[in-house]
Amino acid sequence: MSLQSICQAISDSSIGTQLRESTYLWPAVEATHVLSLALSVGTIVLVDLRLIGATMRNESVTDVIEQTQPYTIAGFTLAFISGFILFWSEAGRLYPSYSFRFKLVFIALLGINALVFHSTIYISVDKWNKWAITPPRARFAGWFGLIFWMLVIFLGRWTAYNLK
Amino acid sequence: MTTLHVFQWLDTTLIGNTIRDSTYIFPVVEVFHLFGLTLLLGTLTITDLRMLGVGMRRQSIAEVASQLAPWTIWGAVVTIVSGILLFLSEAMKCYANAAFPWKMWMLLAGVLLYLCVQLPITRAKSRTNPALLKAVALLSLVFWYGVAVAGRAIAFV
Repeated sequence: MSLQSICQAISDSSIGTQLRESTYLWPAVEATHVLSLALSVGTIVLVDLRLIGATMRNESVTDVIEQTQPYTIAGFTLAFISGFILFWSEAGRLYPSYSFRFKLVFIALLGINALVFHSTIYISVDKWNKWAITPPRARFAGWFGLIFWMLVIFLGRWTAYNLK
Repeated sequence: MTTLHVFQWLDTTLIGNTIRDSTYIFPVVEVFHLFGLTLLLGTLTITDLRMLGVGMRRQSIAEVASQLAPWTIWGAVVTIVSGILLFLSEAMKCYANAAFPWKMWMLLAGVLLYLCVQLPITRAKSRTNPALLKAVALLSLVFWYGVAVAGRAIAFV
């Protein structure tokens, strides 16, 4: 059984079909996806901008990261769950889409970026917490986050219009 | 000249036609609409949460508001400019759309609240009444998330 046929079976399931054909539920889930994306990516962008020294330069890095984190996580969780439901309703169409595949790969890369940042350079944050411009590796994580989250948004829209 | 005439005229602009006739321009403009919206909603939510006393409490309201304001404003500029382009390409669809007027009225309310109330009171030297700050923050969240929800609704109603 190929991944394509599994994905087709997922969207052909009664849950998938009911979701796709619903008048209010699907738009509501889609709206949740966009709004929670704004909250999670919006707060991530804020942290990334602090890391590259573009905003909140007078505030310590830990203040910005720790105080936005609950909203980033809440937003991401909602975006993930709503995204999962949207996938369920259209898995057969989404699987062959290159923009959708790259979107998932980029989200995974962003996860790795965050993981590497938190487990390496961020450990020594006490040393550079107050710096207006953070060390190169922290700045790299910031730029990486900014660029790849923009690409994820781009690919998400591209997927919606089925533009490959 | 009625509202209908205005919308009919707006529906025929060169920019609108160009966007409408292209496969790629509309989605690309929409991507920028989302970039701007992300920046706008993300930074404004943090500002509102600070005013509510919920988030970013280690910083003062003035620190949060003044440092995030440029990002909120530029996010809004990108969103509104790209929004105008999207609108021009489907003005008649918007005319007949039940969600569109809701979105516009809430947008107007949000912009006025931000420029006329939120910016001044978060920058005020004297202490602002906390109840007023909370009320403004709540209204701001309702208006701006309302704009986003109504915006999404345009595609479905």
